[in-house]
Amino acid sequence: GAMRSRAEVDATLQTAKVNPAELLPVAHCLSFGPRAGTGDYCLLQLEPGLSAQLEAGCSLVIRGEKHEQVVLCSKDKTYDMKIADTSNMLLFIPGCKTPEQLKADQASCNIIHSQACCAGIAGFSNNYWELRRCRPKLKKLRKLLMENPYEGPDNQKDQTSTFAKYTTEDLLSLIQASEEEILHQLQVIDACRIEGYWRILEFDYEMKLLNHVTQLIDSESWSLSKVPLRTCLEELGSLEPKEMIEHILLSYGRKHIDDAGEVYFEMQEDKICRAIAQMLLQNAVKFNLSEFQEVWQQSVPEGMTARLDQLKGLALVDESSRPATIFLLKVEDLPEDNQERFNSLFSIREKWTEVDIAPYIQDLCAEKQTVGALLTKYARSSMQNGVKVYNSRRPIS
Amino acid sequence: EAASLTCSTDAADLAQWVLVELQGEIEPRQSGELAGSLLGDLHYTHEGVPVLIVGHHILYGKLVQLEKPFAVLVKQGAGEPGTELSSTEPHTHYTVTALIKTKLLFKTRPKPIITNVPKKV
Repeated sequence: GAMRSRAEVDATLQTAKVNPAELLPVAHCLSFGPRAGTGDYCLLQLEPGLSAQLEAGCSLVIRGEKHEQVVLCSKDKTYDMKIADTSNMLLFIPGCKTPEQLKADQASCNIIHSQACCAGIAGFSNNYWELRRCRPKLKKLRKLLMENPYEGPDNQKDQTSTFAKYTTEDLLSLIQASEEEILHQLQVIDACRIEGYWRILEFDYEMKLLNHVTQLIDSESWSLSKVPLRTCLEELGSLEPKEMIEHILLSYGRKHIDDAGEVYFEMQEDKICRAIAQMLLQNAVKFNLSEFQEVWQQSVPEGMTARLDQLKGLALVDESSRPATIFLLKVEDLPEDNQERFNSLFSIREKWTEVDIAPYIQDLCAEKQTVGALLTKYARSSMQNGVKVYNSRRPIS
Repeated sequence: EAASLTCSTDAADLAQWVLVELQGEIEPRQSGELAGSLLGDLHYTHEGVPVLIVGHHILYGKLVQLEKPFAVLVKQGAGEPGTELSSTEPHTHYTVTALIKTKLLFKTRPKPIITNVPKKV
């Protein structure tokens, strides 16, 4: 198609019985560009904030392996992507000015001339990608790192291992989450970087390290809230790598710097007691509750109090058995998908109180969603002995 | 293999385009390539009302500021001969080439232009 002249445009206006005096003097002649209709272009509808991020030069990444639903990741958020169809045709046109822009152009030059501009339609579509903020898919992160947990420097397995090890870049390309969400989760699961690779400590090795520290605290009679890094490294550095000593202190303590510039740690009672409980519980299917509580309290460091509320999302108490029992149930071992999570929980126990189930569904809550809202959606409530309980909406196979 | 589609932008190159929303489908008048063929003339009244003349129809529309802007993604390397992505290349690269914050919505039923004889220029 050759370019249209202003005269041709005016002729069309005349045929259409539109008075050119009612119009701005610049007309756009819309024609299809070379790549229109090839499917090389697509439209992505942006959630609030993304447009500003793009204009600031930030990147977006679309992530997903062939068997996964794709997600879009900004620097710090993850979105599900879904195709939305429209019954209309959407044409996208570069170089097409709005009336405001035309009037501004006109104001900046004194001559008002009638023009016909060519505006090529870059592409058109009857659908676009829609975004919806979602929970980052982080379960895979732990799964990948658990393929090859770090068992200590003496362990021969590590040197000869053919198991995959993952750098930050590797994780970014495999995990359906934003970089910030991934880095945050690595911190939450106490992962550490060894020779450039992210590793999770094998649990027994982790307990061995923790035990070195708690024994030292005991023998030095330190306050649990003032454990000096320097002395730990000096005393324990011959037993284990210094990076590992420091890592265990960072995992189980809060780091502070005193007035003299010395680093010390405030040991976290809840986290330490919880780890020791896991160590005890993993050795059998279930335990007599009162026996367990006795052994547990004896096992935690002097000055710490073991309490059942420290075990939320780690262990479950069965009050219905005589005597009462407790068993290991880790939320991170449960399915990530909402429906599958509820199915799994209801197959473990038919009826749950809100207090018992909350720690096992808290992580499913979307940005402004509550545990109560999840229960309303995925469970049915009833009263049992004057207590509200929840069970499955559907029969569990 | 991971299929990571990176969608990167060069903020300096990020243009602002306009969306035109029409009812119906695009069909070229002649069965032939769409590329290069004319859709129609777009005008604005002094009040800023967009007017589109497509074939024998006049469409009156309105300018809408999009609550949720669009990003226009273009596939890199597509359409250029010799740049086929090999099967070992795990990454398809899209670039955000433009943002769209404004749309011209033509919702009204087109008014046919009644002509007897086309006027010669």
